[in-house]
Amino acid sequence: MKIKHTSEFLREEREGYIFVLPALIFMLAFVGYPIIYNFILSFRDVSVMTISQEVKPFIGLKNYIEVFKDPTMKISIWNTFVFTIGSISIQFVIGLALALFLNLKFKFAQPIRGLMVVSYLIPMTVTALLFKFMYSTSGGIINELLMSVHLISKPIGWIISGNTSMLSVILTNSWVGIPFNMLLLTTGLSNISYTLYEAAQVDGANVIQRFFRITLPELKPAILSVLVLGFIYTFKVFDLVFVMTNGGPVNSTELMSTFAYKLSFTQFSFSKGATVANVLFAILFCVSLGYLGLIKDEEVIG
Amino acid sequence: MKKRVFNEKQKNIILCSIAVVMACIMLFPIYWIVVSSFKTNAEIFASPPTFIPKVFTFSNYTEQFVGKNSILIAFGNSCKIATSSMVLSCLLAVPAGYGLARFKMRGKKIFIISFLVTQMLPVTLILTPMFLVYKNLQLLDNSLAPILSDSTIAVPFVVLILRTYFLALPKELEDAAKIDGCTTFTSFTRIMLPLSYPGIIMTAAFSFLFAWGDLAYSLTFLSTPAKRTMTAGIYNFMGQYGIQWNKIMAYGVLLVLPVVLIFIFLQKYIIGGLTNGAVKG
Repeated sequence: MKIKHTSEFLREEREGYIFVLPALIFMLAFVGYPIIYNFILSFRDVSVMTISQEVKPFIGLKNYIEVFKDPTMKISIWNTFVFTIGSISIQFVIGLALALFLNLKFKFAQPIRGLMVVSYLIPMTVTALLFKFMYSTSGGIINELLMSVHLISKPIGWIISGNTSMLSVILTNSWVGIPFNMLLLTTGLSNISYTLYEAAQVDGANVIQRFFRITLPELKPAILSVLVLGFIYTFKVFDLVFVMTNGGPVNSTELMSTFAYKLSFTQFSFSKGATVANVLFAILFCVSLGYLGLIKDEEVIG
Repeated sequence: MKKRVFNEKQKNIILCSIAVVMACIMLFPIYWIVVSSFKTNAEIFASPPTFIPKVFTFSNYTEQFVGKNSILIAFGNSCKIATSSMVLSCLLAVPAGYGLARFKMRGKKIFIISFLVTQMLPVTLILTPMFLVYKNLQLLDNSLAPILSDSTIAVPFVVLILRTYFLALPKELEDAAKIDGCTTFTSFTRIMLPLSYPGIIMTAAFSFLFAWGDLAYSLTFLSTPAKRTMTAGIYNFMGQYGIQWNKIMAYGVLLVLPVVLIFIFLQKYIIGGLTNGAVKG
């Protein structure tokens, strides 16, 4: 009996592997291998000078030391955190407000929620250029609107001035991220049992008490995963900043992702680009592990 | 009683108006890209700005189609790359999603977690090593390079979404198919695939959109202008002719148009797909 069970299991396993392996091998070749290759690159000297050599010299930690000596690296790490935390705070607060509001029962709630998702679907390159236009000093609608209500007297160089450029890209990225936050939080809200609110109402709890005593605690798992996922997706943002400011002016919006790109494809020091990308990866990897811990036995891995 | 009904109605009107105002603010940038794409060069820089163009011009659009830098070339490239990436991703990922949903196997948890983690990887991590790999394989400036790399974004997404989709389909259907003489493979192609087609269409559309919106891979791996995609085209547009916002916005509208069409077409499948069940109870 036992032997039969085992052979059946093996047969099933074999069939399962036939279905899964093509995708798995593809991902190993085009994602797994590059990650390892990237790691190896960061310990070698690969640049325009050495690219045609058969053997690229092994230089140990030299890339890491040089990259961390570069002041731009420190700025880009700092900026990446500012950008990420700024973006997820704004996205989360507005996303939660929208989710709560559209969770009320009224006619337009459903279609409007659907419409808002559109900003999430627009290619990042288009969003970046659109906002670049709206921020511009001549003909930019944001400056024109602020001037018409007399908040400012002359146009602000939103993305061409180092003081406001980070804020500008954060706001743009938040615009993209709000629907994502709203949708995930809406799902979380719909899982809260209505009887809890009824009971609270009977006990005489007001709106604010109900929000802090029921909604927030019940929403905690959804909030956690929104924040962690938001962190991961924002931390690696590339195209938006690349197109809007390309890290400028004077590194004020330089992120680790744009810095890595610049090292590899503007300065052609591939191993340094790989090194910066590796540091970015290491930070993301730690956060991802945390995320996996969160969802460990939940729906995703059932 | 009557008063209460009236109040509900009032409440509904107030909430609806707030919602409409909020939607207008949120969606204003989308309105702005469309409006600006119809403005003349003079009107684009007019102060105060016009919210409806005084002079409607279509030349921002028509000019994109003439000359050797015609948008049609980039459109063709984008279609080719996005469609190929969609087909490749689905060919690989649909069976994998099914395999991870239906079969007991060792290492399953690790497979699922790896698909989950690859979704979180930054593009820049893959960019440098793959550039060198494609260089060695002489695939640089070949549209196969972005097709392959775009698919690495779509495959894990399709696998994970369709896995939950297949999990939700009743197992009895397969058992019945097996009794009727189907092999595992034929029950997959004849029973499970047709049943899950709304999910497959939805994930296929998303994998198309991932590749359609990609800038980093196509910009890095393709250097010949005639091979470039629309995203790379609009990016280069900026530097090439100085800042002609009305033309850039028109290009942007043309780039977003397929996305909007897919979105409208897709909604039906998202709603219909989740509620369809073959066996009730």
